[in-house]
Amino acid sequence: MVNSMHPTGTLIWYYYICPREVWLMSRQLTPWQENPFIEIGRLLSEEAYKRERKEIHLENIVIDLLKTEGENVVIGEVKKSSRFEKSARMQLAFYLWRLKQLGIEATGQLLFPKEKKKIIVTLTKELKAELIEAQAQIKEIIKMEIPPQAQKTKFCSKCGYQEFCWS
Amino acid sequence: MKRTIYIFSDGELKRKGNTLYFETEEGKKYIPVENTSELFIFGEVSINKRLLEFLTESEIIMHFFNYYGYYVGSYYPRQHLNSGYMILKQAEHYLDPSKRLILARKFVEGAVENIKKVLAYYKNRGKQLEKYIQKIESISQSLQSCKDTEGLMAIEGNIREQYYYAFDRILDNEHFIFEGRTRRPPKNRLNALISFANSILYTVCLSEIYHTHLDPRIGFLHTTNFRRFSLNLDVAEVFKPIIADRVIFTLVNKGIIKPQHFEQKLDGIVLNEKGREVFVREMDERLKATFEHRGLGRHVSYRQLIRLELYKIEKHLIGDEEYRPFITSW
Repeated sequence: MVNSMHPTGTLIWYYYICPREVWLMSRQLTPWQENPFIEIGRLLSEEAYKRERKEIHLENIVIDLLKTEGENVVIGEVKKSSRFEKSARMQLAFYLWRLKQLGIEATGQLLFPKEKKKIIVTLTKELKAELIEAQAQIKEIIKMEIPPQAQKTKFCSKCGYQEFCWS
Repeated sequence: MKRTIYIFSDGELKRKGNTLYFETEEGKKYIPVENTSELFIFGEVSINKRLLEFLTESEIIMHFFNYYGYYVGSYYPRQHLNSGYMILKQAEHYLDPSKRLILARKFVEGAVENIKKVLAYYKNRGKQLEKYIQKIESISQSLQSCKDTEGLMAIEGNIREQYYYAFDRILDNEHFIFEGRTRRPPKNRLNALISFANSILYTVCLSEIYHTHLDPRIGFLHTTNFRRFSLNLDVAEVFKPIIADRVIFTLVNKGIIKPQHFEQKLDGIVLNEKGREVFVREMDERLKATFEHRGLGRHVSYRQLIRLELYKIEKHLIGDEEYRPFITSW
């Protein structure tokens, strides 16, 4: 196979946006980097919450922010817009789950600095079941010989793959 | 949209802080790096390694032309988009003769269809082109039965020859007569224009390839020799009639380019510095010109159109969607 990719947080994120994106990313077919929305996203994750920022690399996961609130460990994921809330929620839940497997109980916060918005995410049974299902699906997608067909969704207009898919 | 910088003067180009800095006897100029996608160097320009490192970091490709305006080579920085998967697919479609032939034929078909569109346009404007159109029509019949890329190249050559003879009717200008295709060096002004136009288009295509996952060394119509770039030559075939040749028509028909823009060079004729500047300016305008793209539902420039063509090739290679060359509708 292409590479024995374990579903990563980013792939979970892409999965809830577009399966085709998962397939393309699994082949390192990264999108056009000049897309202004990609630039904004990159700047934002570099610049926002600079003081609290501690990017943590744990095996194959990258956590934007880690802090303690009293007894609790809190991990944060910084996003540009809550447009992708579902994706962001699942990505964060995935991190929480991975941490739990490593023996760390944590809660999650989705941070939308531009919208001054914060969403608390805790790992529930339902979320965990959903993640297991998503991981299985992602593996199936990556196994496909050809990419899932392009389908117009509300995400296309700002996607880095837009020109690729619709050329 | 990032800009292309053309340097015609002599001087030194270097990195200064986080920007490009060009110094000549007449003055200094800063070139903001975030807005620059590529550099065309025509003048005698000194550079150093620090500059090359900076260009690599900034993902800027640099093309060099010699004193006569001939393409010398490019500084093609380390690939910034890398997909081993895509390279393997590209190689697969090169190594398998039937797969290679499919793509090679598409490039020729695209070229021929666009040639026909250009001729049809001028025929509608009263130019006597019937004879050439018919000949091209009959030569292109053999495209489908052609079994190898050499054969395709030969057919394309024959079509292009007819097409270039048609230039005499389109241009109708005593200073710009075709008289057969001559290269290295071109023997007359029109040939000098064609050669220069093509070499600029090749480098523009190369620049666009740099921003994709494709390897410019693996072409399909043009045989790779694993050293020179050839994919850019393939893609350029499709766009020569609608980008390069149309710039020639505009420049000659509007009287912008004149005999004094050329100079004798040993055994041939080349554009002089002023001529190259005039040409490159018009070409840049053309590449920036936009039109409505149906698939994307918005306006794209001709330069973006080349990029989109490369994406279509990528999609063909990964088995997503069969490649169909861009054919202009006007």
